[in-house]
Amino acid sequence: MEEDTWIRYYGKTVVEEPVAIVGSPGLRSIGKIVVALIAKETRAKPLADLYSSHLPLIYETRPSYAAHPALPGIGGVKVRQGMVELPKVQFYACPKPSLIMVEGCHPNFAGQYQVAQKTVDFIAGLGTKMVVVTAGYGSKERKVCCAATSQEVLSEMKKKLGVEVDYQGPFYGFSGLVFGMAKRKGIKAITLFAGTTPHPQNPEYPDLEGAKKILNTVRPLLQPKKA
Amino acid sequence: MNTEIKILKQIEPKDFTLISGLPGVAYIGKLSVDYLMKQLKAELVGEVYSKHFPPYVLIEKDGLVELLKNQLYRSNSKDGRNFLFLTGNAQAFSPEGQYEVANEVLEWASDHGLKRIFSLAGFVTDRPFDKPNVYITTTKSNLLEEMKKLGGIALDQGIISGANGLIMGLAKKMNLEGACLLGETHGYQTATGRYLSDAKAAKAVLNLLASFLDLKLDMDPLEKQAQQTDEVIAKMAEVERRIQEQMKQEAKKPSYVF
Repeated sequence: MEEDTWIRYYGKTVVEEPVAIVGSPGLRSIGKIVVALIAKETRAKPLADLYSSHLPLIYETRPSYAAHPALPGIGGVKVRQGMVELPKVQFYACPKPSLIMVEGCHPNFAGQYQVAQKTVDFIAGLGTKMVVVTAGYGSKERKVCCAATSQEVLSEMKKKLGVEVDYQGPFYGFSGLVFGMAKRKGIKAITLFAGTTPHPQNPEYPDLEGAKKILNTVRPLLQPKKA
Repeated sequence: MNTEIKILKQIEPKDFTLISGLPGVAYIGKLSVDYLMKQLKAELVGEVYSKHFPPYVLIEKDGLVELLKNQLYRSNSKDGRNFLFLTGNAQAFSPEGQYEVANEVLEWASDHGLKRIFSLAGFVTDRPFDKPNVYITTTKSNLLEEMKKLGGIALDQGIISGANGLIMGLAKKMNLEGACLLGETHGYQTATGRYLSDAKAAKAVLNLLASFLDLKLDMDPLEKQAQQTDEVIAKMAEVERRIQEQMKQEAKKPSYVF
């Protein structure tokens, strides 16, 4: 095996200038839930899987997105009903509205940039016109705020989605780097952050309410293009 | 991507002096270089991206996302001398990454006529002082002597960890003339381990560098920042003194009283 990060592309669904919705098991798993909810609602089909030797099965860091060079995790496979599965980033697609959903997975410290880069290259290759990253941020207010790759995108989204800037600070892990790499690649991108209460004992404990707030906010971007 | 320099503006190869200051102890290097760039009205010419930078992005106050990166700026002094500046919001995390980033930058700078390097950084001491010393280490002995005449103190022994030191070591390997100027600091940190910016030390470093390079700088804004540094440090020293006092009192209490 020459490459340590590779994509298995099923290519069964055709998408035209899609919007890519990205989420991973970050703070209170909000991003991951948003992606799952949209995939279910749109009946999206598996499009591709990204595998990498940098994706651990067991994380030694807690939360999993707080990568540490001395704690690379442990590789392995998941077993479900007698079948094995490697840890992976999953891509789903829906033709109408034209969407790609990216369910992220946190690589170890050494592979973070590589996996994010491969993900962005892949969705760029599909003609993605915009990336919407979804995540949680620690806040007493249960509102949705946003960040963007440029002032133009920010103004457009403020108007279209009725969101404001609130969070300032670092954005760790798979979703953060996909957001940054999208900017570098020249793809317009936003992140919608839902305010959530951190759960110190279990940082990735699911917050369905936070995820639904993002789902309601992002809806205007999920409408099929008018002919 | 391992490490990549994205050129935003092509520059003609000329005799350049590179001044580097990346985030490190008390942000002295970064603060000094950023101040100098502002004074010399430097323009951004390139950005350095690397997979060796810590794996996160920054969401800025205005809501825009930024990848961690180093930046290359250039400017001309009034008398036509050419300067390149290396600054940024991160250092590579691993030794391998630090070598890779520093080598890429030096290789690029060499292709553009690099002649001399100054690396600005901090040096933590625990001696009480009113005026911070500036310690120096150079790649050539004549430079050391010249800087000593201007008030720099030759660093007898010690280590300079991170990119600000490494770039000087690599400069020596490339047989380039260079000096590392280390502003003395107490290196106060917040409860989360973040360094407080030490503008007083940055000012001392810049004074020495400006004398050596014969640059006229307006130091008033930095002086104001230095005064604020003094006030913050005085407050922290007072808090530290009170805690020590309290600990002494606690130690005097009999252990059976709860």
